Amino acid sequence: MIATRLKNSARAMYAPVAAILLTLALGFLLVMAITDDPVRAYRDLLFANFDSLGNFALFLNRATPLTLIALGVIFSFRAGIFNVGGEGQLYAGAITATVIGVTFAGLPAVVLLPLALTGGILAGAFLGWIPGVLKVRFAVDEVVTTLMLNIIVLLFTSYLSNQVIRDTKSYGAVSEMVPDKIWLPALPGVPGATSGIVVAVLLAIATWVVLFRTEWGAQLRASGTNLRFAKAVGIPADRRIIVAMLIAGGFGGLAGVLYVLGIGHRFEQNFSPEYGLVGLTCALLARIHPIGALATAIFYAMMINGSAYMQISTDVPRSLVDLLTGLLVLLMTARLATNKARS
Amino acid sequence: MTNADDILKLSAIAKTFGDKVALKHVDLDVRRGEVHVICGENGAGKSTLMNILAGIHQPTSGTIDLNGKTVAIADPIEASRLGIGMVHQHFALVPSMTVAENVFLGRHIRKWGFFSDKAAMVARTRDLIARYCFGLDPEAVVGTLSVGQRQRVEILKALAFDAKLLILDEPTAVLTPPEVDELIEVIAGLRALGRTVLFITHKLREVKAVSDRVTVIRHGESISTHATGAVSEADIARDMVGRNVFLVGRGKNQAPRTFGAPVLKLNRVSMTNAAGRLLLDNISLDVCEGEIMGIAGVDGNGQTELSEAIAGLMDIQAGSIELRGRTITEASVPDRQRAGMGFVPEDRLDRGLSKTMSVAENLAASNYRRAHLKRGFYVDQDRIEAFAAEKIKEFDVRGAIPDTPVGTLSGGNMQKVVIARELNRDPDLLLVSQPTRGLDVGASEFIYARIMAAADRGRAVLLISSELSEIFALSDRIGVMYSGQLLRIIDRKDADEVTIGALMNGSLEAAA
Repeated sequence: MIATRLKNSARAMYAPVAAILLTLALGFLLVMAITDDPVRAYRDLLFANFDSLGNFALFLNRATPLTLIALGVIFSFRAGIFNVGGEGQLYAGAITATVIGVTFAGLPAVVLLPLALTGGILAGAFLGWIPGVLKVRFAVDEVVTTLMLNIIVLLFTSYLSNQVIRDTKSYGAVSEMVPDKIWLPALPGVPGATSGIVVAVLLAIATWVVLFRTEWGAQLRASGTNLRFAKAVGIPADRRIIVAMLIAGGFGGLAGVLYVLGIGHRFEQNFSPEYGLVGLTCALLARIHPIGALATAIFYAMMINGSAYMQISTDVPRSLVDLLTGLLVLLMTARLATNKARS
Repeated sequence: MTNADDILKLSAIAKTFGDKVALKHVDLDVRRGEVHVICGENGAGKSTLMNILAGIHQPTSGTIDLNGKTVAIADPIEASRLGIGMVHQHFALVPSMTVAENVFLGRHIRKWGFFSDKAAMVARTRDLIARYCFGLDPEAVVGTLSVGQRQRVEILKALAFDAKLLILDEPTAVLTPPEVDELIEVIAGLRALGRTVLFITHKLREVKAVSDRVTVIRHGESISTHATGAVSEADIARDMVGRNVFLVGRGKNQAPRTFGAPVLKLNRVSMTNAAGRLLLDNISLDVCEGEIMGIAGVDGNGQTELSEAIAGLMDIQAGSIELRGRTITEASVPDRQRAGMGFVPEDRLDRGLSKTMSVAENLAASNYRRAHLKRGFYVDQDRIEAFAAEKIKEFDVRGAIPDTPVGTLSGGNMQKVVIARELNRDPDLLLVSQPTRGLDVGASEFIYARIMAAADRGRAVLLISSELSEIFALSDRIGVMYSGQLLRIIDRKDADEVTIGALMNGSLEAAA
């Protein structure tokens, strides 16, 4: 039984790994056309992350929000909700933690840290709750609501960071710093790396347990795969879906909080290189499996962070990553289609 | 050696998918101008065989002779070029287009080599309809047609391509009983015009009604070919299952049975939809311990609404529902389950199962507590698997291990999973809707036995079915639904098919 299970998970890994390898191979052809030193470019793209502790820290700082957002997306997708609001939920968490941190800077850390943390999580969760309730009660399409909420939150945070909590002594649309007493400690041994990565890894495991090893998780997945079945066997499916969206939003919010407390220490208007969208891609590439999503998020963080070193050392622009992302999505979906045609 | 009368001859066809053997050895000869039925249980390999003929799959070994020549059918286009027309179970029609546009979809008749010649297509379609007496309007929009009419459009598509050999894959699975009768007439008409029809089914009544010869397939092998007139339904059933089958139920002449206290009571239950139309009209009934109450009726006369109202999935606007003396009119689905209700919905893929989830999870869905599948919050994976393995064995769910996604099972085995889950609680009331729809005789026999065993244990059973033979086989009392009303409830011993049939058509003389 265990052997077949291992075999099954190996089979499930095969497709994404093959797609990633093929993407890298095709990308290499492109890089060859651009630069004289394609091997160098590729080495930097993937492995410069491990050249120094500093590089490694930056890479972990990328992986943390990606993982958390991907996990949130997994909760909502498993409940059958196509939640594309990761970016908005991330921003909501980040701005709330910042506002709380800046406003109540006088409070002691034991009070302020939990306050900023829960505040940010709740803000993200609230942003997930709105489309969840609208979907369940009024059958409003969640793609539309989550996308629109993204824009609302992005513009609102832009207003706040430009007008209300702007640090006038700094350049750009950034808030004042949150007090350093609530900064997260660095990852032991890796200065500059957020210890949020530990939280992300633990939550990936917790997500797997909750979804696949509890009755609640089975009910959530049943609601997501066949709502009418779930209701017929007595599962309170509407409640499961709304809670799944609360959790999804909460994960996005947490990603924002951990960014502010562990990495940025303030709200920056452009702190996210589309973490929401990339996190969604990670989740989809991992077939909405939490452990798989941890792996894809790490891979993406490697590419996003490594592209900077690649751009410095060779003349390959970092937008190569966008291209590789497109290729990867294309290859994954192409594979799915041929499977369908065969069966 | 090929007989000159044979339009199609298959010799030793085998097909494997990876290490799964779908067809072991199939021989088949189809004579020109006959209606030939391929009969077999679900999973016997009927569909694989048809997909080979339609060019969707290639045989692993064996030869196909068409009109005396060995052919290779590389793809569906090649198949239609060779004169093989396939009508699939699920239609490939564009609902927003007219009948004529659908018939010529992808091969429009052109004017000046460019413009679609609508008039010519309509005229051609009208000719075809008239020739085969299909009774369709070529300019009707397909979306407005009934299922039976859409099927005729599909047949028309194949005929317009001049198919000499028409393959119908389980054509009656989607049809109501009167539509089945119409289809049987259509097929008789095709035969009269010299077309050859290959008809796939597992319903014995249809075999007898429609065919000249019948070939039975079992476990991927062709077992026998007979002239239909020379064999009985029981003979065919035995070949399909490999043993004698007794799909008889209780029958009429059983000893009188005694029933206990009423378990389910409906008191003047009415339901209206948002538009104000009455879906359930003042329905009162009761089902007692040990009794099977059958609800007959043509589909769409309120049976779905009745089952959903009792199961707690749709609200009623008037009346009350009692289970074991407790009013459950407003109770939630889990409350009703705790009060002792088990529900086998009419469509297993719609409400009965989540097809992407495993057999184990589908079995566990409403049984976590009762079957002790949890330790605290944590689901005990070993117990779930043991529970599933036990149910798979007890209910003879074939081709399944606990991890199998339930959607990959055949219809009969899926239905066994639903029944196994619902019976695990040994509910006081078993509400079963269309329990054997799309199932073969072997699986039906098994499910009948389970339903009767529940009644023998003193449970109340409410059986809703549009299959009259099923109602007669199982029920102690029979009620008939017509346009939201429960017309009359008759004791099994006083009921006959003529009376019930008349009630199903809404003939109120019979109700009076």
